[in-house]
Amino acid sequence: MAEFGISAGHFVAVVWDNSSPVEALKDLVDKLQVLTGSEGRVSVENINQLLQSAHKESSFDFILSGVIPGSTTVHSAEILAEMARILRPGGCLFLKEPVETTVVNNSKVKTASKLCSAMTLSGLVEVKELEQESLSPEEKQSVQEHLGYQSDSLLSVQITGKKPDFEVGSSSQLKLSIATKSSPSVKPALDPAAAKLWTLSANDMEDESMDLIDSDELLDPEDLKKPDPASLRAAPCGEGKKRKACKNCTCGLAEELEKEKSREQKSSQPKSACGNCYLGDAFRCASCPYLGMPAFKPGEKVLLSNSNLHDA
Amino acid sequence: MPLPRLLVLFGSQTGTAQDVAERLGREARRRRLGCRVQALDSYPLVNLINEPLVIFVCATAGQGDPPDNMKNFWRFIFRKNLPSTSLCQMDFAVLGLGDSSYTKFNFVAKKLHRRLLQLGGCAVLPVGLADDQHDLGSDAAVDPWLRDLWEKVLTLYPVPPGLDVILPGVLLPSKFTLQFLQEAPRTCFEDTQARVDPKGPPSELQPFLAPMVSNKRVTGPSHFQDVRLVEFDITGSGISFTAGDVVLIQPENAATHVQRFCQVLGLAPDRYFTLQPQESEISCPAQLPQPCSVRHLVARYLDITTVPRRSFFELLACLSPDELEREKLLEFGSAQGQEELYEYCMRPRRTILEVLCDFPHTASAIPPDYLLDLIPPIRPRAFSIASSLLAHPSRLQILVAVVQYRTRLKEPRRGLCSSWLASLDPGQGPVRVPLWVRPGGLAFPKTLDTPVIMVGPGTGVAPFRAAIQERVAQGRIGNFLFFGCRQRNQDFFWEAEWQELEERGYLTLVTAFSRDQEQKVYVQHRLQQHGPLVWDLLDRQGAYFYLAGPL
Repeated sequence: MAEFGISAGHFVAVVWDNSSPVEALKDLVDKLQVLTGSEGRVSVENINQLLQSAHKESSFDFILSGVIPGSTTVHSAEILAEMARILRPGGCLFLKEPVETTVVNNSKVKTASKLCSAMTLSGLVEVKELEQESLSPEEKQSVQEHLGYQSDSLLSVQITGKKPDFEVGSSSQLKLSIATKSSPSVKPALDPAAAKLWTLSANDMEDESMDLIDSDELLDPEDLKKPDPASLRAAPCGEGKKRKACKNCTCGLAEELEKEKSREQKSSQPKSACGNCYLGDAFRCASCPYLGMPAFKPGEKVLLSNSNLHDA
Repeated sequence: MPLPRLLVLFGSQTGTAQDVAERLGREARRRRLGCRVQALDSYPLVNLINEPLVIFVCATAGQGDPPDNMKNFWRFIFRKNLPSTSLCQMDFAVLGLGDSSYTKFNFVAKKLHRRLLQLGGCAVLPVGLADDQHDLGSDAAVDPWLRDLWEKVLTLYPVPPGLDVILPGVLLPSKFTLQFLQEAPRTCFEDTQARVDPKGPPSELQPFLAPMVSNKRVTGPSHFQDVRLVEFDITGSGISFTAGDVVLIQPENAATHVQRFCQVLGLAPDRYFTLQPQESEISCPAQLPQPCSVRHLVARYLDITTVPRRSFFELLACLSPDELEREKLLEFGSAQGQEELYEYCMRPRRTILEVLCDFPHTASAIPPDYLLDLIPPIRPRAFSIASSLLAHPSRLQILVAVVQYRTRLKEPRRGLCSSWLASLDPGQGPVRVPLWVRPGGLAFPKTLDTPVIMVGPGTGVAPFRAAIQERVAQGRIGNFLFFGCRQRNQDFFWEAEWQELEERGYLTLVTAFSRDQEQKVYVQHRLQQHGPLVWDLLDRQGAYFYLAGPL
């Protein structure tokens, strides 16, 4: 028992079938319960009910199947896969199964190697044959009864398998180091033959007949993708166009904006020096009638024609 | 100990990527790193294998294509014969500028990043993918990417002991100094703009000064748009082109703008200067003569009618002596002020000249040394060539719609090149225009009997007129033109020419005049109506189908 490695706190499943003597099963369960203690748990499952029970994945540290003395349990691929599923990563399966030693086609009883590969295919790793022993007359009888199979070349084999250290569907980042040379001096020397070829080619720029590679072939499907439209938007910024007063505003917009701002934290206010909006468009406020016209000298008469006043 | 050297290579179509590259250059200098900033096609690629640290700033243009000033690089870098260890000495980073409303979003940057890895380079950062579709534009991606870049670069190349990082508000030395001459030089070099180097066909560095033969308005007098048919004489230029090719024209600023600019900055237009780079890595622009007059610089080189970028305001703030103006300029140059800047500048398409007029105290204090840091050079404009050498030998014709529209600014917005061309009158005296040719995006079939379907509403018909003239001269029939415009008697370009070709059996013309009747009729309606014909041409006869113009 101790050879299974079961100890306190472990969750163990004992799988039995009709071939398992009831007394022996009870015996095993009791012993396991002592081992696992109050923190652990021992579940008992009939092999034919296992799939229906639909245990949560990664529920058990150990599964013991067909190990009850006298059992002649045969494990199907489905059962093995289910066992692998409900084992936690790193958990162990111990099973015992009668196997054929001679190759018989379409036999209900597998050979030992077939059994091992069945376990591997169901997702278990470190599949190892622990021991083989011959069947007792009762066990041989049991095989005949429960499996309807008779043969003189049967053996009983004990095999162990482990669930890998990761659960199905888990992911982990690969550490790829993209070699960026940290110093310019760590560069291979330029091969003189390569340098010569390059030089010869570069000195013959006019030659149109040289073969070119197809540059389209350099691109992979990622390159052909267009950027996600959401990535092309600027960060949203409050109102649309900001109303701005010119530095020397005389039209009253500056005062209005100042009233609006006075509720918020103080920020830089435009100077309210007296002056005309003779400065260019860069300094004019949004409602200035001179917008669109060049700067002019203060005091210079600028006639606003009708078209100025009606312009969009 | 020599400063560690960083190389910034850019591919820029409209100047945005170049602006970012130059920003990178300034930020590098603030961190005491030697830095060269160059267009990819200007850099001798043979040296690339020796570069320890390269930052690539590349826009994606057209349909996932590289900009013009990196097309040679693009053809080179994908050569199969480049060894996979070529760039083993290189740490690199790629920053892409693009627009995610296009399927091939930032394809140039993505491909470049992969290819550099393939060639043995070591990426210090993931590829940066700036997107015009972001609410805050490319800056949303560029700003954080640059922060990460400098963090990485400073671990590789820490600031030398005893020096500090130059803070953002502190002015950096200008790229050039302008050494003014006391007197005008004896001989005027600039009017003979042709460089003494007649090797090869005309190009951006040595354009051909083509005499303008005629400049005729081809839209009706009451039509809202002024469209010109302009013809140039290209005798003796060495220029050759076929249908579908494009002519590049280098415009200049209007005299009134030149005058105003000099006035606001307090510059004497007739003074001459020589340009001196302040660092060995900087070279003088080849387009500027030495010595150069202020008038030439302002009229022919500085793009004073372009809309300034954020970097303009950042630099101008450093130069401002006026507290009020400086504060506003700092705001426009800051990350928080970008929304305001957009409203003030980009939305109404306010020009550099107009901004300087709004900041007069700052403008008058700008040191001439900083002019080339502040104001970008005028970019050439491309036009589809509208004539064929087979029909008009030694001539080059273009169709120019004069760009004029209103924003909330009083002054209407005008296209620099189209307005300039419209203002030139060869009837008043000889007029010469700097131009050169480059292959265009349209290639017409080589096989003689392949029919061609061309859909070209409005000025889009220009390259098709060249194609039709060419094909007719070669005796090819099977020319189908779908042309749309507003009114038959207002903007039906080349009406008489098409009629003649139809009579001679060379052309099938289908027209759509959108405003000649109550319901709108466009070329797409006509295409639908002629569905069976179009299908037969495409399916049974292997016709080529072309589309050009405002659709």
